[in-house]
Amino acid sequence: MIGVAPPAYDPAAPTTANTLPVGAPATVRAYVVELFRRHRRAFLLLVSVNTVAVVASMAGPWLLGGLVERVSAGVAERELHLELTVGLFVAALVVQAGFVRQVRLRGAMLGERMLADLREDFLVRSVGLPPGVLERAGTGDLLSRITTDIDRLANAMREAVPQLAIGVVWVVLLLGGLVVTAPPLAAAVLLTMPLLVIGCRWYFKRAPSAYRSEAAGYAAVAAALAETVDAGRTIEAHRLGERRVELSERRIKEWTAWERYTLWLRSVLFPFINVTHVMILGSVLMVGGVFVLQGWIGIGQLTTGALIAQMLVDPVGLILRWYDELQVAQVSLARLVGVRDIEPEAGDALLSPEGRDVHADRVHFGYLEGVDVLRQVSLEVAPGTRLALVGPSGAGKSTLGRLLAGIYAPRDGRITLGGAELSRMTAEQVRSHVALVNQEHHVFVGTLRDNLLLARTDATDTELWAALGAVDADEWARALDDGLDTEVGSGGFSLTPAQAQQIALARLVLADPHTLVLDEATSLLDPRAARHLERSLARVLDGRTVVAIAHRLHTAHDADIIAVVENGRITELGSHDDLVSADGAYAALWRSWHG
Amino acid sequence: MQIQDLPYPDPGVPDARSGPRFLWWLFRNQLGGQLKSLAWGLLHFLSVSALPFCVGVAVQAVVDRSGARLALAGGLLALCAAGNAIGDTFLHRTAVTNWITAAARVQQVLARKAAQLGSALTRRVAAGEVVAVSTGDVEKIGWFVEAWSRFTAAAVTIVVVCVGLVVYQPALGVVVAVGLPVLAVAVLPLLPRATRRADFQREKAGRATELASDTVAGLRVLRGIGGEELFLDRYRSASQEVRHAAVRSARMWSLISAIQVLLPGLLLIGVVWYGVQLAREGRVTVGELVAVYSSIMILTYPLRHFEEIAMAYSFSRPSARRAARVLSLERATDTDGSRDGSEVPSGDLYDPATGLLAPTGRLTAVVCGDPDTAGRLAERLGGHASEEGTPVLLGGVPLDELPLDSARTAVLVQDKDPVLLSGTLRELFDVPRSGDVGAEEALAAAQCADVLAALVQGSLGAEDPMDARITERGRSLSGGQRQRLALARSLITDPEVLVLDEPTSAVDSHTEARIAEGMRNLRAGRTTVVFTSSPLLLDRADRVVLVHEGEVAAVGVHRELVHAEPRYRAVVTRETEEEAALNGALGKEASQSSLKDVLKELEEIEESA
Repeated sequence: MIGVAPPAYDPAAPTTANTLPVGAPATVRAYVVELFRRHRRAFLLLVSVNTVAVVASMAGPWLLGGLVERVSAGVAERELHLELTVGLFVAALVVQAGFVRQVRLRGAMLGERMLADLREDFLVRSVGLPPGVLERAGTGDLLSRITTDIDRLANAMREAVPQLAIGVVWVVLLLGGLVVTAPPLAAAVLLTMPLLVIGCRWYFKRAPSAYRSEAAGYAAVAAALAETVDAGRTIEAHRLGERRVELSERRIKEWTAWERYTLWLRSVLFPFINVTHVMILGSVLMVGGVFVLQGWIGIGQLTTGALIAQMLVDPVGLILRWYDELQVAQVSLARLVGVRDIEPEAGDALLSPEGRDVHADRVHFGYLEGVDVLRQVSLEVAPGTRLALVGPSGAGKSTLGRLLAGIYAPRDGRITLGGAELSRMTAEQVRSHVALVNQEHHVFVGTLRDNLLLARTDATDTELWAALGAVDADEWARALDDGLDTEVGSGGFSLTPAQAQQIALARLVLADPHTLVLDEATSLLDPRAARHLERSLARVLDGRTVVAIAHRLHTAHDADIIAVVENGRITELGSHDDLVSADGAYAALWRSWHG
Repeated sequence: MQIQDLPYPDPGVPDARSGPRFLWWLFRNQLGGQLKSLAWGLLHFLSVSALPFCVGVAVQAVVDRSGARLALAGGLLALCAAGNAIGDTFLHRTAVTNWITAAARVQQVLARKAAQLGSALTRRVAAGEVVAVSTGDVEKIGWFVEAWSRFTAAAVTIVVVCVGLVVYQPALGVVVAVGLPVLAVAVLPLLPRATRRADFQREKAGRATELASDTVAGLRVLRGIGGEELFLDRYRSASQEVRHAAVRSARMWSLISAIQVLLPGLLLIGVVWYGVQLAREGRVTVGELVAVYSSIMILTYPLRHFEEIAMAYSFSRPSARRAARVLSLERATDTDGSRDGSEVPSGDLYDPATGLLAPTGRLTAVVCGDPDTAGRLAERLGGHASEEGTPVLLGGVPLDELPLDSARTAVLVQDKDPVLLSGTLRELFDVPRSGDVGAEEALAAAQCADVLAALVQGSLGAEDPMDARITERGRSLSGGQRQRLALARSLITDPEVLVLDEPTSAVDSHTEARIAEGMRNLRAGRTTVVFTSSPLLLDRADRVVLVHEGEVAAVGVHRELVHAEPRYRAVVTRETEEEAALNGALGKEASQSSLKDVLKELEEIEESA
């Protein structure tokens, strides 16, 4: 049996749930229409310069056809107009060369502009996502869209769209040229089209998804190796070296299976294209030749027609080359514009709290329909108090913290800040009052200054240094070669986890919210570093209302009120001494901790 | 080598002495494929180049009003069509096969090198280089190796056509034979600049992607505290820089395109001008003139291969150099060992440098004020450490003298940042192991129930938690969840000696207390060393050792040390030294409650909830 079946394993099949929506066809269409409308002028310009270039390129065959006609008719030297013809030829060539340059350049400009629009649009949409959506969906899906999908679209926008536009215009004009030269020759070209159409239909039905799988397979080869390198210590400790080599080889096998399949697809398509190319030329020559012999058209027309037919090879190749790129791009585009389908948060910008007391009233909340993670939770946090939430993993402490920080809205019940309902305020309004501090102390790529300015964009350097000083970070920051201008984040100066945490704390000093929700803020740090940081943290917390999700009992010990959260309910509530003397779960744990 | 036979059973030992030698090694190993590709290439290019001849015959036939010769031209065309289609398809097949086999071979030798280097690769520079070779350089190396035979076929074709034209129509042929080499090399001087601009554009694009993904990665921070506009502006300017760089690069490429139109055009005009005069003198026929014209149009296609090979070489040279550098990396220390490693030693683990002793079959906890010292000590306990030093003894046998693999079998050191390898949970736990500890036991001991639930929720169509997928480095999990899975993996391995460095630092106290109990039960009778400062773990250890300034300062059990040893108390309870001294002086009373009671109470609460 001839042929290769698509491999059973598809590396492009999603393994993690899509946490964000993918654009519906209507959304994608609307976006494409909008994109074209925005770049209408650049598009028209491209088509115009392309038209001039193609028309000029037909001058050569046309002039040569005329010469051939006259030479074979044996006209006199003077009537040959050789100098004039050559002059016209040169002029047309110069015009063609100049306009070809413009076509290439305008194509790139259009493509780049569309691509820039697309990626900037996407990021604008992404940073506007409601915090609740981000918290729930995580950033992984978003991250893969902005890297992999933008990459895939880059080729489509940069090359495929302009090149296809060029190719189509080119083919149409060449066919038009044939019609003008001798209509039967154009008909001869069209005779060959069914063959090409059959081949292309077969191919394009299979190609896009196969190329996607192939690319994913190749990426998986590199990813397996990158992981082996990254996990060098773990792999050596667990003696996994051989297994990693086996894994890499399995990935290579999976990838090359797809390469083999796409190679087979092209092995079918190529003969169709090659035969079509020669057939175009052949049918023009044969049909045209018979017509000349019959005296219906001239020899010059045949020459021109044959040379134009030969020129058709380029644009046809161009269209075939880029067409599947466009198909692949469609999928990526749907993923990018899918972010537009997420409803932006409908907050009431006028709603603002009066006072600083936080109040939870019979709150129920669940991530999934019908499964409540929190039940009947009521709390009162007076301004300036410190509340510690303790309890086992999965009990709902973090969820409660996020509700108190206004990231999620309760399913039932109310959470208010200064009498105003948190879930009805805009994210911008909420964060000027409440901040959530978690383990994620991301250091952004950029200068140290950028990393601080985000909390208060109009802060002066003096204020930035003061904020660093408040968290004990000024000493090492001053020791940096470029001070605030030092490049940090991945690729830049590498900060220790403790320093990164201090940056996060300095941001809080700058943003100055009166209420903080701390979620295991220092838990990923070494105990020694954590101790030092806690001093910095204590400075930041001073005078603010604090809700701390406590990992370590000593954090709870320092709190004014401790709430023990178990199974979505608050089971114990009171000060440290109250709870110890109540002799419940907290007391038992405390004794074992403290010895 | 056929694609379906990949991967190579043995990719061979690369010649990594230099970049060019590496390229040559790859080329030499696929000589057969290269020759095939060359042969098909010749068929393809020669068939294409014969088309103009057919055109000439057809036009002349019409001029001469000969239907028979027109039909002959048609026949010749059909032959060319067949040669072209077969040649092109098989050229493509052989060329792509050469590319893929070369790329697969490089990926295979890289994977072997990475596995062999293991922990020696954690130096960041080397690690980055390996990944860079795998993601970008392999393609370029494969491209150059593959392009060679195609280029040779094109070059041979051009020579053949030139010679053919000179024979077919000497007067015009000479003009073409002189003109073509000029066309071949005309744009070469522009290519370095064009590729530099393209590189610059790629660099800018990489920077923009980095900024975007960095912004997205920190998006929760941004949304929580502000500064979105700051980062958007930054990204917009980076994105516009990419655009400008791309347009600048396009300027160069568009200039090259224009030259590629202009020069063949001038040659065409010269041929027409000269040819028409020759035709009038009767020295060439009209058909021959059209054939030569058509030839020049067609030959621009094989001519492009001169540019391609020049570009492929300039791209692949630095890539090959980097690949050779990576492939010639070696471990600093000898991994074979001087002893026979077939029998894994057992007994007490003893470190002469610090005086640390972990008695066989017991749970020893080590408290060390400085986390870096703790990390280095933990690494040393496994033998074959990156820094030279007095070797650690296991049952009196120096671990450094055992082969690396045997030492790792005897002692498993789980460092502070164990990496969860991506794949299903089943794959994660598929590690060399004793076989005495099952996955369920280990997961239960490490308190992983909620982790399993979270994994199942995040995976598509996984009902059995063992089929649930862990993403790269377990990023979808919280720090505490990652630690617990890593611990479960180490427990499954069930080594003679298990060394854990801060295994539960990100786990909450409630869960940590249960892990302490579970781990202790599971490791009963086995040697375990835990570096920790958590009282919940220390309280469960048979023996607690305080290491201070690189030496053992105190040995005992938690309850003793916490009262008797102020330095210990300072580290463990996070009090300042003054406070600790004060507490010690007051002789604070020890609580009698044991951890068992705590756990019992916790369970009761859960049941009632």
